[in-house]
Amino acid sequence: MFKLLLDKELREIVGTTKFAVTFGVCAVLILLAFYVGARNYDISRQDYEGAVVENLRQMEGLTDWGEIDHRIFLPPQPLAALVSGISNDIGRTVNMESRGELRAEDSRFNEDPIFAVFRFLDLEFIFTIVLSLFAILFGYDAINGEKERGTLALSFANSVPRDQYVLGKLVGSFLALVVPLMIPILIGGLMLPLLGVPMDTNSWARLAMVIVAGVLYFGVFLTLSVFISAMTQRSSSSFLMLLVVWIFIVLIIPRASVLISGQAVDVPSIDQIDYDKSKYSRQLFSERMNEMQHWIQENRDNDDHGQFMSAMQEFLGRQQDDFDAKMRVLTEKLNEQRDNKAGRQQNLALALARVSPTASFSLAAADLASTSLALRSSYMEAANSYQVAFAQFMQSKNADTQGYRFRKHGNDEVEEPEEIDLRELPEFTYRPPDASEAIGASLPDLGLLLLFNIVFFAGAFVAFLKYDVR
Amino acid sequence: MEESNRMEERTSAARQQAPLLEADGLTKEYEDGTLALNKVSFTVHRGEIFAMLGGNGAGKTTAINLFLNFIEPTEGEARVDGIVTHKEPLKAKERLAFVSENVMLYPNFTAIQNLDFFAKLGGKKDYSKDDYRDVLLRVGLEEVAHSRRLKSYSKGMRQKCGIAIAILKDAPAILLDEPTSGLDPKAGREFIGLLEDLRSEQKAILMSTHDIFRAKDVADTIGIMNMGELVMQRSAEDLRGEDLEKLYVQYMAGHMENTPESVPHEEEPAMS
Repeated sequence: MFKLLLDKELREIVGTTKFAVTFGVCAVLILLAFYVGARNYDISRQDYEGAVVENLRQMEGLTDWGEIDHRIFLPPQPLAALVSGISNDIGRTVNMESRGELRAEDSRFNEDPIFAVFRFLDLEFIFTIVLSLFAILFGYDAINGEKERGTLALSFANSVPRDQYVLGKLVGSFLALVVPLMIPILIGGLMLPLLGVPMDTNSWARLAMVIVAGVLYFGVFLTLSVFISAMTQRSSSSFLMLLVVWIFIVLIIPRASVLISGQAVDVPSIDQIDYDKSKYSRQLFSERMNEMQHWIQENRDNDDHGQFMSAMQEFLGRQQDDFDAKMRVLTEKLNEQRDNKAGRQQNLALALARVSPTASFSLAAADLASTSLALRSSYMEAANSYQVAFAQFMQSKNADTQGYRFRKHGNDEVEEPEEIDLRELPEFTYRPPDASEAIGASLPDLGLLLLFNIVFFAGAFVAFLKYDVR
Repeated sequence: MEESNRMEERTSAARQQAPLLEADGLTKEYEDGTLALNKVSFTVHRGEIFAMLGGNGAGKTTAINLFLNFIEPTEGEARVDGIVTHKEPLKAKERLAFVSENVMLYPNFTAIQNLDFFAKLGGKKDYSKDDYRDVLLRVGLEEVAHSRRLKSYSKGMRQKCGIAIAILKDAPAILLDEPTSGLDPKAGREFIGLLEDLRSEQKAILMSTHDIFRAKDVADTIGIMNMGELVMQRSAEDLRGEDLEKLYVQYMAGHMENTPESVPHEEEPAMS
């Protein structure tokens, strides 16, 4: 009986013109998303490689490490081609200094603001918008449409158990829609290495999990559609209800959660923190000036110019260290306060947003593609670690890029300075989380998507057991 | 006279057996207080056609829905071959075939695909395409239409397809809810011929209809329903020579005078 119902459902969906047209459109969009994503990755990779080469080229010919203007860059992630996440929003370039706070600048959207307006046609967009509507289009009349056609009453004039009927309906419509959609997705996946996206085992595992998340997300809308169809008597009512629910789930809830959390938790702006730091810095500078004047007055009688300069450099170095320490304490305190509040705001926003399966899918997909909110912090962590190595290197070259440095000028014979060897510069590498870490991070959201599926599946099942089939 | 004797013999032979369809004090009252069916009792034997006449909202479809267990009775029982429908619905439905007033079937399936699905759903898995063709020809659907999708069918053609599905199930009892509503006069006459064939195959047929003349032509027993009550039940033999239309109007008018309150309807809330 179940097999018969399953078979009928498959043939009933796949044999329609509606399916042929919508599947054709979806297949083209999916393939387009893979192609455009691969092209975007290629452009980002070229930009990245060009920026690295240009950075070294600008330092060529310098003879003093203290004169270098070194920058590090965030390498593009292969799966960002399919799930862009925040990879286009965050700064990719960090001006490296031996000390002080690092900042990432030059986001993709900063360079190409038009993309910020319309965003990219990536796989995440296809799933969240196009395929969720595709699921609704085929599920909204799953039950009440049968009633309108009289086939429900005719079916139940036979010895058909209701549980098997609704199970056949749910499983059949799921298979009829998901299996065909796998074809363009698999073709798209195979296109990636051919289009120059480096896909290692790690990337394949992530991509497979992104597709699993997408299938779960698609299942949420399909089971929800069958559920609402089993709660209503007319297909026009269920279609209208589903459109309203879709607007809330896909468009309203994720955005509203950010607004609500913004109102609930007040986070000081970066500008406010910069102002506080600047104010404190000015105060410290004034104190330093006073101390320096005091020191000069105390040491003005020292006739030995060389000893005077050496002592002064030592004094200024101590002052600089003291200044750095105080600024570091303040910066850490302000940043910690801001980070704590921003963390609370972010956690609240994410908790509220996860009421929507769209948010759960987007977060899971971004985690799997390493383009989630964690990308920014992990990049900055890598940059900060590199800063330590860079500072040690610069110190070894006696070329601290900040603070005061005095050079001894005398009448000694001047040697021709040698060019610095840029190969000595520590290399910056950014290692994204590996597949197991990424999958681990996405598990809560994958679990939520599964839960949504179970809840709506159970809802559809129970609603149909009480459904008036006449 | 010969026909009359045949009918009498047939009816008395059928009545010696236990009834296949039995309504025993069937009552259906909805939660909002609407009394859709009030203590209705009748029987339909093998080889007998019982026609229920009545206006819209008289309770004809409610009675059929109770036999199909689409709704449960408030009181009384509907029995199919002795099986109480609301207690053992799946078992009872094995013995029932059903043709509804408005059956669209699956518009993207051909007639043969629709027949194949519903035949298998009814437990008949051994039919061949030739069997499907034969039954479609029997109900008056030309061969050229058999492989066309039903979305191109007229209402009458779909109705014929629905009747073919009921025939294929080969159940001992057939429930027909306004079966001739979409049929043209020629198809209506053919349908009457089909019913007579099914009766000769010893099927018990319960039919609701507005069509007094066809009911008189084919039925062995005629019941008139009004406001949820079976206000008249007589054999076709009893009614021979009487003006059924006049009788129908009289019963409807008389009953309305007696029971002015309680207006049942057939678009009631869902069952649990």
